[in-house]
Formats: sequence, C-alpha cells, structure tokens
Amino acid sequence: MNYTFDFQSITFGPLWEGLIVTLELTTAANIIGIVGGFLLALLIMSPVAVVRMPFMLFVEFFRCTPAIVQIVWFFYCVPMLFNVFLGSMTMGILALGFNLMAFNAEAYRAAIQAVPREQIDAGIALGLNPLQRILYIVLPTAFRASIPVLLTNGIVIFQQSALVAIVAVQDLMYQGKTLATETYRPIETFTVVALIYFAVSFPVTQIVGYLERRRQLLMS
Amino acid sequence: MALDFSIILRFQDALVLGLWMTIKLTLICIVLGCTLGFVVGLARTSRNVLVRAVSSIYVEFFRGTPVLIQLFWIFFCLPLILGVELSNLASGVIALTLYMGAITSETFRASLKSVGPEQRDACVALGLPNRVQITNVILPQAVLRAIPTLLSNCVSLFKESALVSAVGMADLMFVGQNISNNTARPVEVLTVVALIYFAIAFPLTRAVTLVEGRILKKLAI
Amino acid sequence: MSNTAPLVKMRNLHKSYGPHVQVLKGLDIEMKPGERVVVIGPSGGGKSTLLRVMMGLEKIDSGSVTFAGKPYISSESADTKTVIDTDVRRSIGMVFQHYTLFPHLSVLQNLILAPCKVRGEKKASAMQRGQALLERFGLGAKADAYPAQLSGGQKQRVAIARALMLDPKLMLFDEVTSALDPELVGEVEQVILQLANQNMPMMIVTHDMWFAKNIASRVIFCAGGVVVEDGPPEQVLGSPKEERTRDFIDRVFHIKH
Repeated sequence: MNYTFDFQSITFGPLWEGLIVTLELTTAANIIGIVGGFLLALLIMSPVAVVRMPFMLFVEFFRCTPAIVQIVWFFYCVPMLFNVFLGSMTMGILALGFNLMAFNAEAYRAAIQAVPREQIDAGIALGLNPLQRILYIVLPTAFRASIPVLLTNGIVIFQQSALVAIVAVQDLMYQGKTLATETYRPIETFTVVALIYFAVSFPVTQIVGYLERRRQLLMS
Repeated sequence: MALDFSIILRFQDALVLGLWMTIKLTLICIVLGCTLGFVVGLARTSRNVLVRAVSSIYVEFFRGTPVLIQLFWIFFCLPLILGVELSNLASGVIALTLYMGAITSETFRASLKSVGPEQRDACVALGLPNRVQITNVILPQAVLRAIPTLLSNCVSLFKESALVSAVGMADLMFVGQNISNNTARPVEVLTVVALIYFAIAFPLTRAVTLVEGRILKKLAI
Repeated sequence: MSNTAPLVKMRNLHKSYGPHVQVLKGLDIEMKPGERVVVIGPSGGGKSTLLRVMMGLEKIDSGSVTFAGKPYISSESADTKTVIDTDVRRSIGMVFQHYTLFPHLSVLQNLILAPCKVRGEKKASAMQRGQALLERFGLGAKADAYPAQLSGGQKQRVAIARALMLDPKLMLFDEVTSALDPELVGEVEQVILQLANQNMPMMIVTHDMWFAKNIASRVIFCAGGVVVEDGPPEQVLGSPKEERTRDFIDRVFHIKH
C-alpha cells in the first residue's frame, strides 16, 4: 500500500460535539427503554389476550425488522401520519427508545418467568399474598437477573444510535462522515470514530462479563 | 391523509430485485461468517497466546463498534489501503462476513465451553484418542448446542444487512427508500418494506424456539 | 504369571489439591485377580480420588501403580510429570456416578464408538456385540434410543455395557447408584452382581452397605487419605477392629434404620 497516514488533519472539535450528542441519545433512549420496557413487559404478560396481543405485536415488530428501517420509517412517516413535527433529536430519541423498549421488555419477561417455581411456592407456604409475592420475591429476583441483559441492550443501542446519522442527526457518526468528506481522510477519520465507539462500549461489555461470571459463581 | 397501497404494485419488480439482493447477501455471509466464526471460536480457546490475543481483539472490536462504521470503513478505506477497487457486493460481503464471524465465534466459544469435563472423563475411561474425543464427542455436542443461537445470529445478520443501503448497495431497503423518495409516498412504501423484513425474520425467530425445544427434548443438552 | 500374583499394586500414593488439601496420604493397596474390592469411608476420605487415579484421570504427586505386573502409573514427586501408560489404561473400564453417556449418540452408537475408534473393530461386528450385550442387560429394545429418553437406571446399565465393550480386565464403579431414584438402584446392582458371578475383578465405591455386603470379596475402609481397615466383608462390616471403622458403620446403619 502507498497510502500516507495523516492524523493531523482530524479536528477533534466536531467529533467531541458528535460524541456528546451520541451520549445524550443513548442516555435518553435508555431511560425510555428501562422504564417503558418494564411497563411493556407487564403488558405482554397480561393474562387477558386482548391486552397482550397488540403489545406482543409491537415487541415482535421491533425485534424482527432492521433498526435502520425503523428509524427511517419513524422520521418520514410519523410526521405524515400523525401530523406531529418534532425536532430531529427528539425523533431520534423516540425511535431508539421504542426499539430499546421492545428488547428490554423481552429481557424483563424472560427474567420474571425464570424465577424458579419453588421460590413462589415458598412464598405461598410463608403466607404471603399474591401482591407481596410479586413485590418481595418475583420482582427483586427478576430485576437483578435482568441487569446484565439491560446493560448489553443499552450498549447495543449506543452502537445502533449511529444510524440516526442517516437521517441527519448530528451525532458522532454524522460528524465523522462530514469530516471524512471535508478532509479527504476517510481512513484516519473512520478509524478514530470507530475507536471512540469502541472506547465507550468495551468497558461496559467487560462489566457485563464480570457481573455474569459473579452471578454464575454465586449460583453454583 | 389518504393512503394508497396500490402504488406498491407498480414497483413490484424493483422490490423483488432488492429483496433478492438482501437474501443473496445474507446467505453468502451466513456461510462465510459461520465458517470464520467457528475457526475464530476455536482460536480463542487456543493455547497459543498470540493466536488468542489476535482473535480476541478481532471479536471485541467488531462487537464493540457500530456495524455502520465497520461498513463505512470497509467501503471507503479498505480499497485505499489495498490499492484495489472493490465492487459494492464484495465490500458488503466482507463487512457482513466479519460482523457475522465475530458474533458466531462467541456462540461457538460458549457452546464449546458448555461441554462438561465429565464428558472428557468418559472419553479417557474409554481410551479414546484426543482426535476422536474432539471430532466425535466434543465438537458434535458443541455444534448441536450452538444451533439455536446460530439461528438467532442469522436473523441479526439479515436485519443488519439493511445497512448496506447506506453505502449505496441496491438491497431491499435501498430500493424502498428510492421508491419512497421518487413517489413521495414514504408511508406506504416504507411500511411495506418493514413488513417484508418482518415476514421473513419473524418466522425465523419462532423457528429458533422450535429447534431449541427439539434439541432439548431429544438430547437434553 | 501365577494366579496369586497381584492384579493391582498401589505403592505409597500421594495426591493433593493445592498446598493444603491432601486427599491421598501414602495409600498402599494390593488386589488379586478375581477380587471384588469395595471401598467405603466418609466423604472427602479419598475414595473417589482413588478410583479416578486408578483410571488415569488424575495426576498424582508421588507413588506408583502396577497393573498385571506391568508398570502403569508413576510419579517421583509433586513437581514431576505423572507417567501414565495408555496401553495399560485401555484394559481398565470405569462407570461414573452421573452416567456420562454421550447425549448426541444413540445407545448403540455410544457402545460402538470406542471399539471402532480405539481398536479399529468393524462397525458390523461391534454392533452385533453391542446388541447382544444390550439384550443381556434387558435393553435390547433401546438400541436406537437417545440417552435423554432413558431412565437413570437404564442409562447406568448402558454405561456399564459401554465400558464392557472393550473387554476390560478390571472394572471401576464410582458411586454408580448414588444419583438414582431408590426404586432404580436394584436393576443396576443386579447387572453388577451378574458381572461378579463371571469373576470380573472390580473396585467399587459405594454408600449402599447392603450392596457392599452382597458383592464384596473384600472391604477397604478408607479415611483421611489412608487405608484404616482392610479385610473380608463379614469382618469389616460386621465386627470392625478399628474404632473409626466402627464409628462410621454405626452412623451409616443408624441413619438407615
């Protein structure tokens, strides 16, 4: 190869601004995802089929279509269908937040259903009423069990947030693309951008790995 | 506003072509990616520190960065570094194969680890040589256990393949966006595109549960 | 070799896990051909380790084992490599507490894997022998079943058949009925008694005193990593000489009654 690297021409100012936007998107989407996902999980576990069905469809739809399709759909179709015009940042947060809500709802549901039957039996044997069983036995166990998956989903949404660059939200990816075009230095720019994403996600995945190992140790 | 889904019928052929590109790309990368993932999964359990380090860095890096930037990097940077022109399809295949290789290597690694030490004890007690232990006992069990997760990985790949539209490959998403821009009918067109993706991915996710149940029932592994 | 020459000769076996846990502290056992040795003793006393060492599954710190007059296992000290003669190892078979059948292979495939791969036996002949063995153990109809479709007792009988396919000169049974439901214990013990009638030499670790009494030609009480008492079953189980043996036997029987 006869390419001469030149990292000098990369200005970190815009990248820094982009990273802030990316982190804002991620944080907001995670708040929606963690809170909304829990409510959604309760709805998809409803014993009433009429309540359950539409929400299950909602979850499955987000899990079974590409995130980029969801985001593009959201940006083009929501304003036309519902006549609402929100800022692109708000749109980005909502699109990512809904996506995360669906994935987190599944995580909560799996964790709640994985609470061993004996635990609930023990609750009955100790005379706890159904609400007490849910509050004191099922939810604390389930919530703790779902933390690693919630963290993983949270970091996935951090990565997926790069997709909003396609609909012109000025996040890290968008700034990287612009910089690459302006400087004619795609290799340096995209490498640096990739490293920034990596530097944020890698520590979190390590923490998840640690939590899971500790959990397995405690269980055995 | 009035919706008119009949508009889709006019672009049926283009959408089918786009879908075909999506499916072709996904299938090629499933085959190449699983092969790569299997080799890398083994490499990560290697005794050689260098082999282990290189394979770990590859996997962590591809799992730790957005697929979109991987794609951009391979489309715009790899040709510069290699000094050769890469066709769109070739770049797409390279990018998605590397992505698939990284996620399936984790699947293979976990399933290899899940074959318990007592299976090795049994092999030793039966005097099975090392090669037979690996090819006839450890690997078949590991692969069987990996199948449900591999299927999920395939669904993920199918979904991520829509990203190639962002670098101008004429897949389903790209064709859909083009039609939507040209007709100014994004609601109808993009909804149909989403439904097509859903119609393929959803049955596959159900199949995962089904296959998992089968394997569990028959082999209890 | 004369008939009374020992089949197994263990000399001064030492084994520890880490610096603080010593499981075998200079174990000496000799076993004659045709003997059926039952090893009893408290948990952590080294019984299972003894069997695992004998199978060549565990390294030892020091000591040696000879089998049918041939050197089998030896190690000078904790820092040296444990030398295990794999040819000798092939004449020993072992059955484990948790069956350890290969879950991805059918019953008959479990049986023929080792004969075909280790001895290069023709598949047809191995299948014939396997089927015959299964018939003998009352499992003829299960040849094509997968382990997950069998009861614990059936699994354990398959595991015994699998080990016998290699015509072992010594069989090791490591708590083979401990994981079974009580009503399934009998069918497995019957199969082992059947082997005993054919004079198969065996070494058995068990908690089942009834079984021990019925199958043993000799009982060894093992505790704290050494042999505490060694003799015919009537003596060790009936009127033990050592205080520790008596304590153990009393406690086991008191729990039973």
